[in-house]
Amino acid sequence: MITAENVYKSFGKLEVLKDVSLNVKQGEVVVIIGPSGSGKSTFLRCLNYLEPIDKGYITVDGQPVGKIKKPDGQLVDDSRKNIYRLRSQIGMVFQRFNLFPHQTALGNVMEGPNTVFNTPCSEAKKRAEELLAKVGLADKADTYPSQLSGGQQQRVAIARALAMQPKAMLFDEPTSALDPELVGEVLSVIKDLARDGMTMVVVTHEMSFAREVADRVVFMDEGKIVEEANPKLIFTNPKHPRTREFLSKIL
Amino acid sequence: MKLGPIDIAFQLQILPLLLKGALLTIELTVMAIFFGTIIGLIVALMKISRFKMLAAIGGIYTWAIRGIPLLVQLYILYYGLPQLGINLEPMPAAVIGLSICGGAYIAEIFRAGIQSIDRGQMEAALSLGMSYPQAMRRVILPQAYRRLLPPMGNEFITLLKDSSLVSIIAMTELLRQGKLLSNSTFRSMEIFLMVAVIYLILTTVFIYIIDKLEKRFAVADGE
Repeated sequence: MITAENVYKSFGKLEVLKDVSLNVKQGEVVVIIGPSGSGKSTFLRCLNYLEPIDKGYITVDGQPVGKIKKPDGQLVDDSRKNIYRLRSQIGMVFQRFNLFPHQTALGNVMEGPNTVFNTPCSEAKKRAEELLAKVGLADKADTYPSQLSGGQQQRVAIARALAMQPKAMLFDEPTSALDPELVGEVLSVIKDLARDGMTMVVVTHEMSFAREVADRVVFMDEGKIVEEANPKLIFTNPKHPRTREFLSKIL
Repeated sequence: MKLGPIDIAFQLQILPLLLKGALLTIELTVMAIFFGTIIGLIVALMKISRFKMLAAIGGIYTWAIRGIPLLVQLYILYYGLPQLGINLEPMPAAVIGLSICGGAYIAEIFRAGIQSIDRGQMEAALSLGMSYPQAMRRVILPQAYRRLLPPMGNEFITLLKDSSLVSIIAMTELLRQGKLLSNSTFRSMEIFLMVAVIYLILTTVFIYIIDKLEKRFAVADGE
């Protein structure tokens, strides 16, 4: 579903991603863990071209992300229209929710289909109501983000991303900005999605979530994938000393 | 009928003419606000554009216009252009001059307002698949408007007051009307005091309207 081949990315002189390759199968849940500054969030943002990559090649559902491969193997920039279309097929959930503060919860969820697909209002509204119900917020449809708790905001943000009927979802530390008692409600929504078979890449520090939901855990450090394995293996018997060190600190 | 040095009867006599001038001042200001805001928005979008050429043009525009006195700009428009065979009537010259000048300041207000919106908002909009213009129109600008209102109000009041400068290019707005009257009656103090009071009333009404708008936008924001 998602393939990344030899991705490099620098911010100025700082090399954030060094030769990162990853393959995510349809319906797979991949959790990326690692110390801050390891490049995991940057990598996630490269997958829907919020960050253009310097070198490498990414595809989602067979479509190239940002750069097209010409027959001679050369990579050229894709058209903006294709990039926009591709993004509409990948949902993204941010650490700080980034809900639109000038719109209600319902308005937030309707915004994507309305603006991007020109979905008729009544249809978008019906679907948005269903999605809010799915994340347990049917009664908050007319509430503005500023009046919602962090956990509720993040659940609206998930509904907003789902409204585009994405082929895959990217979660960028979805619970890091939440008070501890609100983490559970957001994780349970993400777990439901996993159960429904959604393809997901999740950057998180929630190790218990990783253990429970991930099909595969990827450990990144200093811009590289150091180790990847199924959660049972990586948490009980990490191979790489860096992974061991990191897990011993966090668990 | 006299109130100290002020002759009420005389004031009442000149009032209709001054109000006629004031009407022209309002007309000028409203047009300058309208066109200045359009220019300002376009220039602001140019200045934050990823196309270096557009950004440079926008930068030069605000730099030059904000660096040259409005009075000099008006001289160039009205007295300078005829030398190149471009003859502007006073009204168009005044509106163009005020709009171009106001536009430069409004552009800076727009730019600051747009850039004050959290970067995450643009990212969220783009991640939904919106194009950059869609994200601007649907997400960024609606949030920027509310923050823009206070500085915009200031700029509108400045434009209203600066419109008095066009009196030098044969526009019979409020100030020039006063000047003409004082030339024929030699009662400068009474006339210009009256002119000052009318300007004060106009700016007060402006501030009131902007205040109301600000409150309405706050409600629409759900806060």
